[in-house]
Amino acid sequence: MPKFPYGKVPFCILLIAISTGIFNLVIAFSKRGEKPDLVFVSFARSHMEGYEEATEEFQRDHGVKVQLQLVSARTVKSRLQNAFLTNANVPDVVEILADTMGTFTKGPIEDVGFVDLTDRLHAEGLYDRFVESRYSRLSRLGRIFALPHDVHPLMLCYRSDLVEELGIDVDSLKTWDDFTKMGRQITRDLDGDGNPDQYALDLPANGDMLTPLLLQRKEPLFTQDGQLKINNHTVVDTIIWYIHQSRGKNRIAFSAGWGQTLAKTVTDGLVLFYFCPDWRTKHFETDTPHLSGKMKLMPLPAWEIGGGRVSTWGGTGLAITKACKNQKLAWEFAKVLYLKAEDLGKRFKASYIIPPVKDAWDLPEFKEPVPFYTNQPIGALYAEMAKDVPSNYASPYYELARNKLNEVFINAALYYDKSGDDGLEEYIKRELVRVSAYVENRVQHNIFYRKRIAN
Amino acid sequence: MEKWKERLNKRTGPWLFLSPYLVLTLIFFIYPFIYAIILAFYQTNGPKSWSFVGLENFAFVLADGDFHIAVWNTTIFALASILVQLPLSLGMALLLNSKKDRLKGVFRLILFSPYLVGQIFVGIIFSVIFMPRYGMFNRFLQEVTGWGLEKRWLENPNLVMPALIIAAMWMYVGFNMIYFLAALQNVDQNLEEAALIDGANPWQLFWAVTFPAIKPVVLFVVVMSTIGSYQLFELPYALLQNAAGVAGYGPKDSGLTIVGYLYRTAFEAGDLGTGAAIGWLLAIIIFTISFVQMKIGRGLETESVL
Repeated sequence: MPKFPYGKVPFCILLIAISTGIFNLVIAFSKRGEKPDLVFVSFARSHMEGYEEATEEFQRDHGVKVQLQLVSARTVKSRLQNAFLTNANVPDVVEILADTMGTFTKGPIEDVGFVDLTDRLHAEGLYDRFVESRYSRLSRLGRIFALPHDVHPLMLCYRSDLVEELGIDVDSLKTWDDFTKMGRQITRDLDGDGNPDQYALDLPANGDMLTPLLLQRKEPLFTQDGQLKINNHTVVDTIIWYIHQSRGKNRIAFSAGWGQTLAKTVTDGLVLFYFCPDWRTKHFETDTPHLSGKMKLMPLPAWEIGGGRVSTWGGTGLAITKACKNQKLAWEFAKVLYLKAEDLGKRFKASYIIPPVKDAWDLPEFKEPVPFYTNQPIGALYAEMAKDVPSNYASPYYELARNKLNEVFINAALYYDKSGDDGLEEYIKRELVRVSAYVENRVQHNIFYRKRIAN
Repeated sequence: MEKWKERLNKRTGPWLFLSPYLVLTLIFFIYPFIYAIILAFYQTNGPKSWSFVGLENFAFVLADGDFHIAVWNTTIFALASILVQLPLSLGMALLLNSKKDRLKGVFRLILFSPYLVGQIFVGIIFSVIFMPRYGMFNRFLQEVTGWGLEKRWLENPNLVMPALIIAAMWMYVGFNMIYFLAALQNVDQNLEEAALIDGANPWQLFWAVTFPAIKPVVLFVVVMSTIGSYQLFELPYALLQNAAGVAGYGPKDSGLTIVGYLYRTAFEAGDLGTGAAIGWLLAIIIFTISFVQMKIGRGLETESVL
């Protein structure tokens, strides 16, 4: 037998290279037969767990195979966007954060990688079953590119045991002024170390609650036709309010963060009231089960007497990609996940997320008392608010505008730390003009969006 | 058969073995390299929508306030790496080099180990350490100084960079120390002994004998640290993931680096053309700084020889 001309070691390298190549080919070919009929991607574990049963039933009923994939929210957005841009593989059905919809629709309408669902919704009489305001963040130019998954009405969740112990009557907290007054009384240093040990409100230090608070005041960041509208008196007023609650000696708010720190803050009673959309209620129940029967929900205080007490925080939509080979099957699957009444009831019990499907709110599951929340029927409480949730319009520059608004808040807070209220309002106005111009500059740099707005 | 063997040996053979590397380089380096040059002059929105914009992407980036912030942040970080981190690494290497006990290896491993876990892990660990009220760092500050319990390192734009530098220091000081330690162990002992006999104190010994001997390694570490600093991305991205401001970039973009700006523009905002332009600008910045550093370093070497 002739010897390999380069010796034993190169021969071994060649052998390993060939065998791994063959192995990879075999694996690739063996997986071809397992290809699912639909690939569904979501970023939320709780959503995915809720879909498992319905998916199994759908597979049985239709004789098809559906693959569920869980991917982080940021990854879904960036991978999907880049896959659209480079014509790479995309899933058939995907759940995306509503905030990110604008980025997928910034170019010519024919370049949007999602199927336009508007006509299907109207043709099948489904349009009116959803809360109308929830379409606003999933649409561009009047065309709907995703089904709304939720409504996410916003309430305040509080440590009822401690609040009652302090003699606070939550029914009397009708306006934010009432709330602030109460907050000033209960925010205090209990051990004399110079740091308050009891705060009234959890308020993110970066201004993240500005957008929900502005929505409560019917001030979305963008108009329906895509114009940025953050440069106005309501925005200035809300930023000043936010600063007064979270900075300086008279502050009533602490930024409790997320996850373990949040759980510890709630457990310690460091903060009494928390902004709480429906999706957060389950987090509290899961992360602090020992507080069962010590938590309650109340509506947001209004900005003025008799004013609106409804807002929303977050949102998800389900879209079908144009690359999906069986769009009819994908549409049927989407309807099973989002519209099948008995599943919506079960899923609410698992996640406490109110669906945007209005007729589902009459299901008994939504009226059941929840022991963790001191037997309040939280489904009914959120559903009561869901119908009035304000519209929040999508834009390719939504995330940028929100981040820049937060930047204005941070700059203004630093200004306040240094100079107090003197000139604060003027400073915020100047900052809003600056960031509005910044966003406009970005819009102008996008040649495709610029053309579309001009048309 | 012999002829075949000979021909294969001399001409085809080397190419055959080089071919996997060449193919991969062609696919993953040469092609993207050329593609990025073309892309930088276009605005794109998917495969169907390409629009030639000439130098507009470059002009936009150079005029963009975020780019200026990113360059500033990255430069501050690079300076901190060179002026704070490397002297610390060198100091620790000198300390370890002076001890001849068995624990040297253990200390070396302990100091080097943070590097093994990677930037993402370090970012996550430090995001917990820097938490207000419950974080280890603030608890320590409060116990020692009576101040700092509620200090918001990752939510105050003025404190993000110090926090980032501290996290990077924990990770890289031990790593750079290994280079210095290796260099120190190669310094001629005879020269050091001669200097000591001549009455040199430790300070004079270091500057007159040790430092000139390890200068090539110092230059290498400075250049590599600078390049690494200008490519910084994962550490701030993980550290500031759940912090204030834009997730991953900190309040007022105080943790935004040039690569972070590139990632945000190209892969989060989907502007691949502008992203390619940023990539080229970053390459030019790194090349220029490294070139200047090498020139200065070589100039100093020549000077010391003379």
